[in-house]
Amino acid sequence: MNKTIISFVTSIVLSVSFSAFSKTKVTWSMESNADRDPIFLEKLQNAYNNAQDNYELEIQFEPNETRIESLRTSMLAGMGPDIVETPGPSYVKEYQEAGMLENLDSYAAEFGWKDKLIPWAYSSGVFEGSLYAIPKTHESMVMLYNKTLFEENGWTVPTTREELEDVAAKIKAKGMDVYTYGSSGWQPTHEHLVGIYLNNYAGPEAVYEAITGEREWTDPVFIEALELLKKHMVDEGWWSGSLENYYAIGWDDFHAQFATRGAAMMTIGTWTFQATSLGIGASDDEWGWAPLPSLSSNSTGPNFMIAIGTTMSVNAAAKNKDGAIDVLNWIMSNKDVVIDIASDFEFGEFVVPLLLDESDIPSSISPQVTSYLNEYARITGEGNYGYCTWTFWPAEPGVHIWKDMEVVWAGDISVEDFMSDHQKMWDKARKKNETLPVPLRD
Amino acid sequence: MNFLSNKSYIAWYFVIPVVFIHLFVIGIPSILSLALCLTDWSGLGKINYVGFENFIELFDDRYFKKAIFHNILWTIIFLTVPVCIALMCAYLLTGIKRGQMFYRLAFFFPYMLASVVNCQIWKYLFHPIHGLGGFFESIGIEALASSPFTTKDTSLYAAAFVDGWHFWGFLVVIYLTGMYQVDNHLYEAADIEGASKFQKFRYITLPMIRPIFIFSLMIIIIWSVPVFDYVYILTGGGPAYSSEVVANYLYTHAFVRFNVGYASAVGTLMFFYVIFIVGIFGLLRRLGWEI
Repeated sequence: MNKTIISFVTSIVLSVSFSAFSKTKVTWSMESNADRDPIFLEKLQNAYNNAQDNYELEIQFEPNETRIESLRTSMLAGMGPDIVETPGPSYVKEYQEAGMLENLDSYAAEFGWKDKLIPWAYSSGVFEGSLYAIPKTHESMVMLYNKTLFEENGWTVPTTREELEDVAAKIKAKGMDVYTYGSSGWQPTHEHLVGIYLNNYAGPEAVYEAITGEREWTDPVFIEALELLKKHMVDEGWWSGSLENYYAIGWDDFHAQFATRGAAMMTIGTWTFQATSLGIGASDDEWGWAPLPSLSSNSTGPNFMIAIGTTMSVNAAAKNKDGAIDVLNWIMSNKDVVIDIASDFEFGEFVVPLLLDESDIPSSISPQVTSYLNEYARITGEGNYGYCTWTFWPAEPGVHIWKDMEVVWAGDISVEDFMSDHQKMWDKARKKNETLPVPLRD
Repeated sequence: MNFLSNKSYIAWYFVIPVVFIHLFVIGIPSILSLALCLTDWSGLGKINYVGFENFIELFDDRYFKKAIFHNILWTIIFLTVPVCIALMCAYLLTGIKRGQMFYRLAFFFPYMLASVVNCQIWKYLFHPIHGLGGFFESIGIEALASSPFTTKDTSLYAAAFVDGWHFWGFLVVIYLTGMYQVDNHLYEAADIEGASKFQKFRYITLPMIRPIFIFSLMIIIIWSVPVFDYVYILTGGGPAYSSEVVANYLYTHAFVRFNVGYASAVGTLMFFYVIFIVGIFGLLRRLGWEI
């Protein structure tokens, strides 16, 4: 009897050990965030590891400030994680050109990835005709407003430039800032605003023509767009009261300002949904969102700028290539997992661009986010979408748009000169084949 | 074998590990960096030789010129303001018998703090909402409404102020060390002659601490070339390049714009500038200057 028990226990221990040891490790270097990391560990890493017996996913978290550089160093050394996470297509382009990423075409065909992803998001990972990256999250820019405050004052949510300027005057008359936003801690914040004005003044069609080389960035319509931004930013101090304050205010500050009625509106990306819900949600006020207003007749009707937040690729030198592919395929084949994780972040993070139905959106998320997701799907589905700079601008023009915008706002150079420089950078990028994938416009 | 056991080489053996580490950590990367300045390397991928194209572009780059000008301004500021204050305070401290250690510690304390801590303190102090500006506004005074770090006309000086505030205590300590080595009989003789405090400082203290003083000027000039952390944390070189310095410009090109070749060209110029400065001091020493 004793012998039977011992052999039974031994066989269980051995089989468990064998199963654990037979799993091969898959590594993933991911941007760290104190709030998000436990959720990724539980609902992505552990869930994947429990779902199959072949691979052991290990997510290594590191702040992006250091992760981007350590990733580059390790990739150069022919090492690096199996799954390569980058901050966007311009980084993918650099790695792809250096031959450091795995061509995913055969896997995409085998597992039908193209049919699972939103078409424009899929094509954002196609470089020189082949798939090299899958978006880990996609996003857009929106205008948030204090709904309670608007209702109390009888203000209408603006949809046009005239309405926007009218309500801005009323907000300022109340002693509040029109928008709260700032670039302290993240200078590229400027590109959010530049993108808004390019798309909503010049119109998405004109931006598409410029990024595909059919139109020059020196076109008057772009000059006018940035002149208007300069006027609103510098002359009228719409963002946080003044240009200097806009530079001095960071993420926590502008959320606090929004929650405490320091400002009535905020221009921001959809990655903020969780922070906004928690911030203003703690006050008695209710928040709302709206598409960014059209700023000229060139931009008719609401549109959403499309953007990729983070990308996932497979390291060409991966120790466990099959495992890395399996993880990506598992993510794309389990939309419940994606929805569950994205819901924890109010669809502000890990919004893998899977094709979802309205019925897929869980009731647990806030009604504002639900309505945004439905509107986003409807409007972009109709082809009304613009282009975010961090997804469609090559590296150097992409940096120029935010780094040198300050020079325009400081009055050191004219908008014309700025755009002339910008065009030269695009010409150079085109010559060096550094442009990024742009989905064909219907 | 005799060579290995020769006592006169023992010091060399002890130095070898350090030389070895320096060779791999500084020497080889420096040589590679010098080579990269002649390429268009993005930091990944293929390396193409472009000759002196990066330097030609650099000499035509208005923001690089602006950064150089800011580095020169920075050097001038540091050669004057902290040096004067530190000299004065060190001299005054020599006359304090009780509680001198408290002052020395107080002056030196910011130097012991990490730059990021110092910067955050000052950023909070000048924050338009939570800082002094917000406080003044709450009591009806219109002052410091904007942070000097985000104002184009003041950003460079504000960053230099914070860096100088952290640095001058270090100067106090080294000047004080020099001043304590001055023979007290000189001061006693000066007292008998009826010299004033300033005259004693001008004609005894300053000449006697000259080697330390000149050394401090040399390290200030050299350290002003790679100045980075305070500018990067406080202003990021902005707004509108108003506080851009060469090292920050290099960093942006290397790690943000994917222009490693161009950044290496900037680094090469910085390297030669430092060599030039060190060479000047070496030359002056050979000419008999007591430095």
